[in-house]
Amino acid sequence: MAILIVDDSADGRTLIKRLLEKHGFHDILTAESATDAFDMLGLDRQEGFTENIDLIIMDGIMPGIDGIKASTLIKAHAHFADVPIIVITATDEAELLDKAFSAGAMDFIIKPIKQLELKARVNSALNMKHAIDQRKAREAELIKVLEELENVNRELNRLSSLDGLTGIANRRHFDQIYEIEWRKAVRTGRELAILFLDIDFFKYYNDTYGHLEGDECLKKVAAAAGSVLKRPGDLLARYGGEEFVVILPETEIMGAAKVAEDIRAAVENCNIPHSASSITDHVTVSVGVAARKLSLTGKPQELVALADKALYEAKNSGRNQVKAAGALL
Amino acid sequence: MDKRVVIDRDLADLIPGFIEKRQQDIAAIMAAAAASDYETIQSIGHNLKGIGGGYGFDRITRLGAAIEQAGKLQEADKVRELVQAMKTYIETVEISYE
Repeated sequence: MAILIVDDSADGRTLIKRLLEKHGFHDILTAESATDAFDMLGLDRQEGFTENIDLIIMDGIMPGIDGIKASTLIKAHAHFADVPIIVITATDEAELLDKAFSAGAMDFIIKPIKQLELKARVNSALNMKHAIDQRKAREAELIKVLEELENVNRELNRLSSLDGLTGIANRRHFDQIYEIEWRKAVRTGRELAILFLDIDFFKYYNDTYGHLEGDECLKKVAAAAGSVLKRPGDLLARYGGEEFVVILPETEIMGAAKVAEDIRAAVENCNIPHSASSITDHVTVSVGVAARKLSLTGKPQELVALADKALYEAKNSGRNQVKAAGALL
Repeated sequence: MDKRVVIDRDLADLIPGFIEKRQQDIAAIMAAAAASDYETIQSIGHNLKGIGGGYGFDRITRLGAAIEQAGKLQEADKVRELVQAMKTYIETVEISYE
């Protein structure tokens, strides 16, 4: 609880300090002018303000910058907004008191100083400062807790939209984003593309290498497919089992087929051994592509069904290839 | 009048220095009066008014107020008269501590 006394009179400073000490206040600083006080408070210091000043007792009339002007300047700093100032005046002239309160003083003491009055006013100012500090500390604590809660919520939200194994979006998140992108495509009139991809002979892979290796394979395929997608807004999700889905907003069929082929090649280039594959000795994927301009009269499931159908065709045509719905490739 | 003052025991060690400074003030006011430096007179008077009663010397506060006022009105004779009263007071005041 530091108290700063600003008074140009040495006798005045000494008296106030002594009386405060007598009544149990310690940690008292004194300044003989406003500029001296500014210096002590660190008003012009680069490295910041002096901490822990709980009360300023300011002589109203001083040579140079008077106590009223000094109070205004100190209160102009947010750091000292809550530090109470008691102005000491030699008169109870209404005009001076009015100025003091306008300058931010919370109370005044008329000279000559009376001990009990000084003690009472200082106590009430310090109690007020203490109450403000406590309230601020509680507010800061509350804000911190709210921020933590927000972070946890954000993390939970993120986790609830991710596939636990592969780390890419899960089916739930796909459904949400697809709904949004479908509406956006209807609104903008731009084409929306969907890719379905499925690991070829994945059941055999699991049978041959075991489910743990199967999981590793899913992770690698997810990573390879993800590495192909470059635009913000493109989304790769695990649709279920060994099936993945990609949303490509504002993409026409040729562009979508190009992305599909890049994904197919990326998976093949991973060169993941697959001795049980009927077509080659490593892991491959089949990809079905669909892209359409959409209208509100249509249904979101239709585009997905088209891509699924194209995937079926890719499987039937020998796997490890891309097929586009309703387009010649 | 006000010859006897009762001062707070906790201020006792400050009083000799306080009295000595008032003697310096008296000399300074005399010099200022001789030089017609009324600004200095007002300033010292103002300070005396502010601190006197705080230490327990109500008369110093009253004299200080009167000196400040006389300085403002540039009444040199009045200033001298008040300073003389202050000098007498300082030299004869009986202080006890409680």
